[in-house]
Amino acid sequence: MNCQTLLACAFLAALPCCATACRSAPRSSPAIVGPSSLTAGTYQLVVHGMSCPKCISNVELQLTRITGVTRPVVDMKNGIVAIDVTGGANPSKDAIANAIADSGFTLVEIRGGNP
Amino acid sequence: MAAASTAAGASVTLIAVPVTLISTLIATAASHAQEMPGMPAATAPSPGVLIPRIQMRAYFLEDDQFLLEENIRLEYGLARDLSLSAEIPLYQGFLDDPRPSDGEFGLGDADLLVELRILRDDLNAVDTVRASIFAGAELPTATDGFATGSLDPCVGAVFTTISGRHGIDLAARYTLVTGDGLAAPIFLTDAGDDFLNLDAGYAFRIHPAAYTEEREPAWYLTAEINSVWTMGGEHEVLLSPGLLIEAPTYALEFGCSLPLSEDLDAAPRLDFALLAGMRLLF
Repeated sequence: MNCQTLLACAFLAALPCCATACRSAPRSSPAIVGPSSLTAGTYQLVVHGMSCPKCISNVELQLTRITGVTRPVVDMKNGIVAIDVTGGANPSKDAIANAIADSGFTLVEIRGGNP
Repeated sequence: MAAASTAAGASVTLIAVPVTLISTLIATAASHAQEMPGMPAATAPSPGVLIPRIQMRAYFLEDDQFLLEENIRLEYGLARDLSLSAEIPLYQGFLDDPRPSDGEFGLGDADLLVELRILRDDLNAVDTVRASIFAGAELPTATDGFATGSLDPCVGAVFTTISGRHGIDLAARYTLVTGDGLAAPIFLTDAGDDFLNLDAGYAFRIHPAAYTEEREPAWYLTAEINSVWTMGGEHEVLLSPGLLIEAPTYALEFGCSLPLSEDLDAAPRLDFALLAGMRLLF
C-alpha cells in the first residue's frame, strides 16, 4: 500500500470523526412558536424549505415515526403540515422540530390544538 | 451509428438489471430531492432512509464508437445532514481496439462518498439555500479496460439554492489519481492525471407554476455545464440540457450532453450522450 493510498484511507476515516465533532457542537436555532407539548387534537405545522414534491414523502415519513402523531398531510402551497395527535403520548415541540429537521426542513410555528 | 444498432440488442442485459432491482424495491418508494441529472446537489436523505438511483447513459463517440453505462447509486442517511453514498458503473463497450469492443461488459471504479451538509437556510415556505462538503474515494473495482482500477481519494463541495421556480446548483470535486491510468483511456479521467470536476446547473420549474394543495409531479427543465479539467492539461466541457420530473413517490430524469469544448490527448471525443434515470426513496 503506497503513501497516497494510506493518505486516502486516513482522510476517509477522519471525515466521520470531524462530522461527529461538528454535530456535537451546540447549534443555535430560532425560537419555534407553539406549545411545548402537543395534547390530543389537530395541529398545523408551519414549515420552511419544502421546495419540491419529494418533501411531502420525507416530512410525512419522519412525522409518522413519532408516537401519537397520525395522518400528516402536507400543503406545499402554504408550507403547512397538518397533523393529528392522538392518545396520551403528548409529543413535545422538540420532537416535532427534530422530525422536521431530520426530514431536511425547518419548523417555524405550531398552530392549533386544544389549549 | 452502426455500433448503436448492434448495442440495442445486447443492452437488454443492462436494462434487465435495473428493472429487476426496481421491481424488488418498489414497495415503499418515494423520491429524492431536486437534484439535476448530471451533477450532485446539496441534498441528503433523512436518517435511516435509503435512496437508490439508476441511470442509463449512452455515449456516442467519434468514429461510430459506442459505450453504454448503467450507473447504480445507493445513498443512505447516517444522521441528520450526514449521508453515505456508493455508486458503481456497469459498462458495455462497442469501442475500437484496444478498448472494450464487441459488447464486452465490465465494471468501472465504484464511488464511495461521505457527505456532510454544512448549511441549511430555509428562507420561507419554498425557498432554501444549502451547501454540503463531501469526501471519499473511487474504489478499484474496475475490470480490464473500463477504468483505472486504483484507489483515488476525492474531496468536493456543492451548493444548492432554490428560489420559487428557479434552482441553481454549483459543484466542485477534486480527485487525486493514485494509479498510472489506462493505456487506452475511454474517458479523460482514465488518463492517470488528477482531475477537477466543475459543474453548474440551472433548473426551471415549468409545472406547476405555483404549488397547489394537489400532489402533482413537478416538471423542471434543466441546463447543466459539466466540465472536467485534468492536471495534465486536458479538458472537456459539456452542455447538458434535461428534463426532471419529481413526484412524492418517484423522480424521473432525462437528458443529453453535447460537447462545448474538448482538448483530449488519448480518450475518444464525444459526439453526444443520452441519459435516462430514476430515483426512489426507501
